[in-house]
Amino acid sequence: MTLLSRRHILAAIGAGVAAPSLVRAQSSETLKIGGMLPFSGPASIEGRQIVQGLQFAVAEWNEKGGVLGRKIELVLEDDESNSTKGVTAVRRLIEREKVPFIIGTYASAVAIAASKVAAEYKVPMLSGGSTGAGATDQNTAGDPWFFRSWPDSNAQGDDTAKAIVNKFKKTKVAIIHDNTNYGVTLAEQVTRVVTGVGGQIVSKDGYNAGEQDFSSMLTRLRGLKPDAVYIGGWAGDGANILRQAAEIGLKAQFVGSGSMLSDDFIKLAGSASEGFAVATMFEASTPNPIGKAFAERWRKSHDFDANTFSALGYDSTNIAIEALRRAGKPDGLEVQKMLKDGMKDFPLVQGPAGTTAAFNEKGGVIFPNFIAVIKDGKRRLDV
Amino acid sequence: MDLFLQYVANGVVTGSTYVLVAVGLTLIFGILGVVNFAHGEFYMIGGYVGIVAITMLKLPVLAAIAVVLLAAALVGLVAEAILHKPLKSRDATNSIISSFGLAVALQNAALLVMGPQPQRLNLDVSKIPVLSSLPTDFGPVFLPQQRTLIPLTMVILIGVLYAVLKYTWTGRSLRAMAQHATVARLCGVRVQSVAVVTFMVGSALAGIAGMLMSSIFFVYPVVGNMIALKAFTVVILGGMGNVAGAAVAGLLLGITESLTSAYVANSMRDVVGFVFVILVLLFRPQGLFGKAAERS
Repeated sequence: MTLLSRRHILAAIGAGVAAPSLVRAQSSETLKIGGMLPFSGPASIEGRQIVQGLQFAVAEWNEKGGVLGRKIELVLEDDESNSTKGVTAVRRLIEREKVPFIIGTYASAVAIAASKVAAEYKVPMLSGGSTGAGATDQNTAGDPWFFRSWPDSNAQGDDTAKAIVNKFKKTKVAIIHDNTNYGVTLAEQVTRVVTGVGGQIVSKDGYNAGEQDFSSMLTRLRGLKPDAVYIGGWAGDGANILRQAAEIGLKAQFVGSGSMLSDDFIKLAGSASEGFAVATMFEASTPNPIGKAFAERWRKSHDFDANTFSALGYDSTNIAIEALRRAGKPDGLEVQKMLKDGMKDFPLVQGPAGTTAAFNEKGGVIFPNFIAVIKDGKRRLDV
Repeated sequence: MDLFLQYVANGVVTGSTYVLVAVGLTLIFGILGVVNFAHGEFYMIGGYVGIVAITMLKLPVLAAIAVVLLAAALVGLVAEAILHKPLKSRDATNSIISSFGLAVALQNAALLVMGPQPQRLNLDVSKIPVLSSLPTDFGPVFLPQQRTLIPLTMVILIGVLYAVLKYTWTGRSLRAMAQHATVARLCGVRVQSVAVVTFMVGSALAGIAGMLMSSIFFVYPVVGNMIALKAFTVVILGGMGNVAGAAVAGLLLGITESLTSAYVANSMRDVVGFVFVILVLLFRPQGLFGKAAERS
């Protein structure tokens, strides 16, 4: 989309962070950190939620006086889920804004392209929601430049697929996925895991992201009588599928990919979302005490509960700023060294109690996902 | 067989939207020679205006439809002033590029005003007099009333349009313009008002389609992209400028897509239409229902 829209949106989003720091900027120069997320385009819903996590972490650090004696300024770029735009954005953040690290981005393909460029400049990136295994798999073992403080899509897909058979006791599974890298990878994996634990795949359907009418495909699925339906794709499409499935009376245990975690998803799908299950790394009702405390602090400054998107945005930003503090200077290489080995004691708000930023040699953190089920319009971990 | 009928019914519903959007597009092309790439945005605006009218202003359905018609017609009026009036004496490429620009501008306007998240029109069918009494099961076919409303509206609007084109003075001048602009002008047709009317009607039809579809699907700023492509498919299949051809081709495309996703593969549904278009352009460039005309 046009430059105009991007600037407006960025200005609107950035205003919240910029306003308090502008006043203090007179005393000493701010320390700029980079944030790159999709604020327009197909993944904008997710991008706009994740950025609030980044902003919350920055605000908390600034309340405590900033880092290395300087206030933190979050510089945001919109990548529109587009690799070319992402690469440009990374160059701009590094060359013009001289950021020591970048939080970003959501789409894995963009994260892969952008982090390669960032690595050339010796600037580490911390995932802003990208869960694709490819983003960390491309890291050189032992010298990662792309960090993700939660399990990759393989682990997420594994946990989800296993839950279909083991937790929900459903064996006849239908898969619906979009034709992006994200959807196709998930579909392959769910197929592998479900058949591995004794389930059976009765059908597999692809669709183009953004497609509107699923009625004929769902009617055909209804005839196959699956016990469970797995949806791998973006949230808007997932909500559309749920609604249309309810309309034609396709009854099954619906299970979805991580993108369908948001409250917006529940709002879009309406009552059709009841019973829908999704793997999650964080909920406001998490049993993790660090996460719980975060959720309570979040609630004080927001009129909605923290969700996975806010939590992962918060974790990535929080870890990076702490690594910067421990490294002692705003230098990409030093921050990367610290992230690699020096953060194993730093607690995360995501995952079960005791989860820490113990990045493995590929730059990922491994912990089991929760499986949340939507009940009365809310995701719950206890159903 | 039962399922087959259901698939056809599903296809008729989406096909009806294609018809509503494509008929406006084909009118604008046939009469004014403008290839309007911003037509999908008329659809998008209709969806958003419907949401504002029903969800925010809490208007009853018929009043909301009137608001959508008015708003969309207004957009058509403005579009004519941008895409046709100043450019009509120039090469057709000018208005094509210009309509692309208008499409991007409208998408970004929607992004700023309505935000990027998909939205849905909550249409309470139980409050609409005639519609709420309609059955939802037609033999083996199940159609919720929101869906039935779409082909119903399509038939009514296209019927009205057809009658207007056929029997009224305005209709005659529109058709005269389509046949030969200069001769029409010589016969006393007011070319400029015909152009305005054409754009307003085309935009209003697309706007209504957008409003109706947003009660079963979602509206978001770039929703018009795909629908405009589909409408172009329909226009080419039906023969450029051919209203009846567009109506038949729209329904055909909807049904073909539905059957493709039912019996072949869902991921193939968007491909089928475009394959058709390429074949038609290669072997029958006047469209499935168009008459080949010799240029003198």
